[in-house]
Amino acid sequence: MGSPDFAATASSQHRQDRSVDRLKYRIALGLFAALVAALAAVPLLAANASFAFYLMVWIAMATGMNICVGFTGYLPFGYVVFYGVGAYATGICFKLLGLPIVVALLAAGLAGAVVALLMTPTLRLKGVYFGIVSLGLATIVRLLISNLPESFTGGSMGLILAGANNPTHSYYAMLAVMTLALACVLWLSTSRLGRQLRAIKDDDGAAACIGINVPRVRLKAWLLAAIIPALVGGVEAWYTNVVDPEYSFHVLITAKSIIYGMAGGFGTIIGPVIGAIALVGIDHVIWERFPLINLLLLGMVIILLMLFLPRGVVGSLIKRRPQLRRYIA
Amino acid sequence: MNSLLIQGLLNGLILGAIYGLIGLGLNIVYGVLRVVNFAHGEFLVIGAYFAWVLLQYLGINPLLALPISFVVFFGVGYLLYFLLVPRMSKSDDPETSSLLLMFGVSIALSATLLLVFEADSRTLEFAIEPVFLSFGQIILPTIRLVALLISVLLVAALAYFLYRTQVGKALRAIIMNKDAVSIVGINAERLSGVAFGLGIALAAATGVIVALVFPAFSPFMGNDYTLIGFVVIVLGGLGHPIGALIGALLYGVTEQVAAVYFNPSIATILGFSLMIAMIFIRPSGLLGQRQLR
Repeated sequence: MGSPDFAATASSQHRQDRSVDRLKYRIALGLFAALVAALAAVPLLAANASFAFYLMVWIAMATGMNICVGFTGYLPFGYVVFYGVGAYATGICFKLLGLPIVVALLAAGLAGAVVALLMTPTLRLKGVYFGIVSLGLATIVRLLISNLPESFTGGSMGLILAGANNPTHSYYAMLAVMTLALACVLWLSTSRLGRQLRAIKDDDGAAACIGINVPRVRLKAWLLAAIIPALVGGVEAWYTNVVDPEYSFHVLITAKSIIYGMAGGFGTIIGPVIGAIALVGIDHVIWERFPLINLLLLGMVIILLMLFLPRGVVGSLIKRRPQLRRYIA
Repeated sequence: MNSLLIQGLLNGLILGAIYGLIGLGLNIVYGVLRVVNFAHGEFLVIGAYFAWVLLQYLGINPLLALPISFVVFFGVGYLLYFLLVPRMSKSDDPETSSLLLMFGVSIALSATLLLVFEADSRTLEFAIEPVFLSFGQIILPTIRLVALLISVLLVAALAYFLYRTQVGKALRAIIMNKDAVSIVGINAERLSGVAFGLGIALAAATGVIVALVFPAFSPFMGNDYTLIGFVVIVLGGLGHPIGALIGALLYGVTEQVAAVYFNPSIATILGFSLMIAMIFIRPSGLLGQRQLR
């Protein structure tokens, strides 16, 4: 007699879960839409949109990092390699091959995907091993690029993309990249792929048992996580008109992507976005007032975050007040 | 041509010994604490500056500064352990969290070095007469041979400590099985502090040797040494003290012999490729046990 009742409860439970999911999704969607609209209006209102541009850079980078760390559990310490390869692909396609900038940017995304595919075998590794190897690979790629013939990559001087300068266009291109990144995490939060990824992150053996193709699902997320920073690198090269090996492969780019994402909370949808907005703002203020201790403070922020808020602001909030789970994705 | 190759091999062995000290320090800390010390290279650079300050302001011979730095930084590391690590072990994923935490420490330390000593590179103004020793066609700087001797002595002392003393045996026991060690009544917490102190002390002492061997050092080279240390311990096996030494010699010889024939960046690329090849052939490293996880 009990079984129909049970089925009814289960299905109503299921319906309730669904509606909670939908509510969370709508809240995140609303926040993101407001953010995109506000950033789209910036160039119309302010003469200098540079702060807003870099805000978008870091929101996109932290969100890309979130796809990798939050959804797959891999911590890529050589994340900057995708960014650098994207910047160089754009520079080479535009400057040397004379392709239109849009094609050059698509080439950046493609380059990121190719590098990610080449690095796929490293996904066999776990935890610390993966982080170290990805850092080693990033170093190899940087050394290779700075050792290519000077006519190709400009050697240690880098490339200057004269003639491409168009701050407004590149601003909106970055807005598009950021929107793409946000759309990706939103989609992952509700899609089958996102649920599969979470299952793999929790227990890859169990996920394989219930019929998830673990390597293939991981590869999809890995590619997404690689294409976003590659596009960011390409658009930023267009915005600044300079690509050089020192900056394009700087370890701080990885560092900031991790810190901003972690400050908000990896694994949540809005966490890395909030973390990036808060810390880019703080970073900007510190940089203006005390340029010398900027780096020191950055290091201290990581230490304090890891010691006291290892789940990030949003992650800790959800942990302390579980009822907020209904509203925060 | 042949004497060049032999010179490359010898340099490889000497640098390999230094890299071995870096890897040893990293591996003791990782083996005992499961903490990936991303700031190891920064402590090494701090050791180099420590020797520089002692020589510049107090006139203390760097060879004497070496044991001093070992003792001082053992204390620093021991205290730092209680400040940083115990909180970490409670988190969801202690290994990755520790990597990030020490990453923050690394950035903060190199920024502090930059503030105190500025970006110019410094040189330890110290020479041993004669500056070069020649054996037939092979010429080696005396200081490198001294550095090799010191490294070998340090490794020997460490091996004695780890394999013959009570504390050292307890440390190795923690590497093998932490829970069992607590059951037989060893204070794992204090010992972990000792291990961390030992790692930091080794880093600082290695820094003094590096300052002796290489012409210059600057605040931002820490990362390069950390990376070399990582390559070395992945080659030898994470958490395995002897493996680190073998991995270091392998890396040092590869790098230096390649440097004879190609430019330095190609040598580095080759050294790193060695690590990647190792990961695909034998992911646990030369001497590492397969992890059951």
